[in-house]
Amino acid sequence: MADAPPRLDLGDIQGDILRGYGNDYDSTTYAFVRIDCAPEQARAWFAGVVEHVTSATPWPAGEKPLTTLNVAVTAAGLSKLGVSDAVVGSFSHEFRDGMATRSTLLGDTGPSDPRSWETGLGGGEGHVLLTINAMAPADHQRALAKMRAAMDAAGGLTIVHQEDTALLKDSREHFGYSDGFAQPAIEGSSDDKARGGGVPLKDGAWRALAPGEFILGYPDEDTRVDPQRRLPNAPADPLGKSGTYMVWRKLYQDVARWRRVMRDAAALYPDGDEQKLTAKAVGRWPNGAPLVHYPDAPPDDYDPKTARDANDFRYDGDKDGMTCPLGAHIRRSNPRDALGFEGHLSFRHRMIRRGMPYGTPLGENVLEDDGTDRGLIFVSFQASISRQFEGVQVQWLNAGNIFGLGHDKDFILGDPAGVGTGKMTIQGRPPFFLTPQELFVRTRGGEYLFVPGMTALAALAEGTAG
Amino acid sequence: MSAPATPAAPITATGTASRNVAGQAIAITVFSTIRPLVNLLAPIPGRIFLPLLFFLTRSFPKLTGTLRQLSFIHFARWCVISELPYNGPPQRKGKLRYQHMYFESNFNGGWEEYIDAFSHILARGMTAFWGTSYGFPKPLPTAPFKRYIQDNEVEADHYYSAYPEATSTMIQRAIVLDAKLDALKRDAAKLEPEAFAAAYRRFLTDVQHCL
Amino acid sequence: MAMGTKANVSGQAYAFMAMTPVRPGEEDALSTYLRGLYAAGPSPFERLPRTHLARFVIVPDFHNDRSWKQRREEHLDVHYLIFTSNLDGDLDSYLDELCRELAPEAEQIWGRCIGCPEQASGDALKRYLKHNQIDTGIFFAAYPDATTTKVKRSLRNREQMIEFARTSQGLDAAALQQRFLREFGDGS
Repeated sequence: MADAPPRLDLGDIQGDILRGYGNDYDSTTYAFVRIDCAPEQARAWFAGVVEHVTSATPWPAGEKPLTTLNVAVTAAGLSKLGVSDAVVGSFSHEFRDGMATRSTLLGDTGPSDPRSWETGLGGGEGHVLLTINAMAPADHQRALAKMRAAMDAAGGLTIVHQEDTALLKDSREHFGYSDGFAQPAIEGSSDDKARGGGVPLKDGAWRALAPGEFILGYPDEDTRVDPQRRLPNAPADPLGKSGTYMVWRKLYQDVARWRRVMRDAAALYPDGDEQKLTAKAVGRWPNGAPLVHYPDAPPDDYDPKTARDANDFRYDGDKDGMTCPLGAHIRRSNPRDALGFEGHLSFRHRMIRRGMPYGTPLGENVLEDDGTDRGLIFVSFQASISRQFEGVQVQWLNAGNIFGLGHDKDFILGDPAGVGTGKMTIQGRPPFFLTPQELFVRTRGGEYLFVPGMTALAALAEGTAG
Repeated sequence: MSAPATPAAPITATGTASRNVAGQAIAITVFSTIRPLVNLLAPIPGRIFLPLLFFLTRSFPKLTGTLRQLSFIHFARWCVISELPYNGPPQRKGKLRYQHMYFESNFNGGWEEYIDAFSHILARGMTAFWGTSYGFPKPLPTAPFKRYIQDNEVEADHYYSAYPEATSTMIQRAIVLDAKLDALKRDAAKLEPEAFAAAYRRFLTDVQHCL
Repeated sequence: MAMGTKANVSGQAYAFMAMTPVRPGEEDALSTYLRGLYAAGPSPFERLPRTHLARFVIVPDFHNDRSWKQRREEHLDVHYLIFTSNLDGDLDSYLDELCRELAPEAEQIWGRCIGCPEQASGDALKRYLKHNQIDTGIFFAAYPDATTTKVKRSLRNREQMIEFARTSQGLDAAALQQRFLREFGDGS
């Protein structure tokens, strides 16, 4: 019935997409470069960058590079590198429009409005995004210095926005939650993660997702059921093959207020303490254990990266949300089988997430803001920004109707229309309600980018991308 | 820090022209030409098949069960048009060369998500209805099916909802809530406070999915 | 079309459709008028409270499929105006209301259609609309027994109960009961 899964050309795909580099690389710099010189000059510099880009080819045992380098471009960046309007026109329209113009759709209004975004983000200035991962600070600094030296030597290039990030203890994000371990299972790459990471089938089985949901040039879930086996829409070759779209968002987190709000709400919560109430809003305990498996208390010594049950669960035994609330953050962002119909309303909205927390943590038990900028650099990879990223943001996070939650929005991310979060129902006997709040999370800036494959990068550098 | 005023209603009616949108509701209007002759998809001629299908669907509500489960539809209808009422010249008199099917729906959520739902979940139903129309590709894969719908879709010039910010699911649940709330109201004054509090907790537990 | 009018009904809801030919030369004016209705103020259907959801759609022509085996094309002789309404209760009394309340708009809308009476209002307009009625084959209604009044009241009650539920958490039994009686009365 199904074709044999396609062999992934790992050497042609950039690294950190299909498989993360791993937590040994605990610091990451994102540098947005603006090109002010002519395309020929920009391409000369770009060729130098491309030489060092890390691909998805697995590293031989014991031979991890000290640092990795990956490259993405915005629509404006493609033009600056000399790509013709016709070829740029073959990219998706939301990518060409740019994230800032989609602000109403995404709910980036009020304090998250692009007019308040940080310098260099959303205004068409970011052309090329360089992402550097490093295992040790000295190597990180060396890589940054090399990057800057190459830019200075070329001339006409400026870093318009830079974020230096580092993993927090235990890979938590700033609200204290273990993050990054729940990823989609991709056929031919991470089939071992199919239980919990793939598509939930009848009778308890799971299957991995078609690679074309995440990498262009490969069959996606639609191709599976197409007698003509047509591949999904992609930018014109050579740029399309082995590439993917990237979403990058800087999300500020008001940790102090989150803690205060949850502490105050927990005072009235009859079924547990603050940690339990917070776990109900998220869908997992801070150590990553899912509520579905651990409804009353988190297990000790839990490592979600290795625990078998961290991701292997469904919601069919919890249809009314009594264990994991219907509007819990993880249930909204990945409903699995919760929408019924064997996951057919949700299986084409998955994203690979590779973000990093930024900023120093707020001291434990501190409830007053210290003025530090901290939060999450959200990064996702997907074949379709509009179906996978925007679809989830618009229909599952900023709204609740599909879950039978009326106009309730995700309580953590809040109502980005700048007015407030709306309530959250914690299902129970009787239910408990979290009351509307001002935003905990605000968008400080973002971009839609394209991550070319290795051959495509070479074509861009040579000026043969069309 | 005071709680903010009523949060803004979400924007979910995406993926279609703004004239097709009334708050949370999207109007979709589709015309298709029905094939008169026998073929592989519909062994019974369209001229007979559709009226028969319509009759069966009306008589056996289970066939629309899935539609009901996908609770984001307010109202939907299918009609077959063989002849247009005559009003005098310059209108042409007489039966149409082909029968035409008119479909309209009023639903919540994005256009893409709506067609995806029909594509994946109602595949049999879609084939039953549109299999007799020219140009109808199979409902899966979704890309050609979406193109087919887009080609055959007509944009509304004016679209009205009496309750634009309400979704169909909200309305269905609000009606359920109403009935139970009436029952609680009747008991409210008669009970001792503790008994009322217990009744209220039972009520809340019962209607939490409606709130 | 020859299936009888039972198919137009679901519960107490009625699916009405009228398809009227547009006078050649008036298509653009009609389109502009309809598209401008919201710019000029609220929808005229606000004055027809038995209307749940309604639409005006101008169909310029049939879509002919080139990629399939449709051997002969078919084209509409003129543009057609489709009016559909999902309404409460009896059709006749609804059309009476429409032909009375929407007379000014009817002039600009059906007044541009072939065969419309000189005075686009009252009984004459009603006869015209019924003459051009297209029967439904299948009508699906998610809440077939609820009138617009019932829908709106239920939605208001839901809002009120949400507000009550979340702000009365932690109240003792007596306070809770008092508050409930104050907000919702006792059903009498």
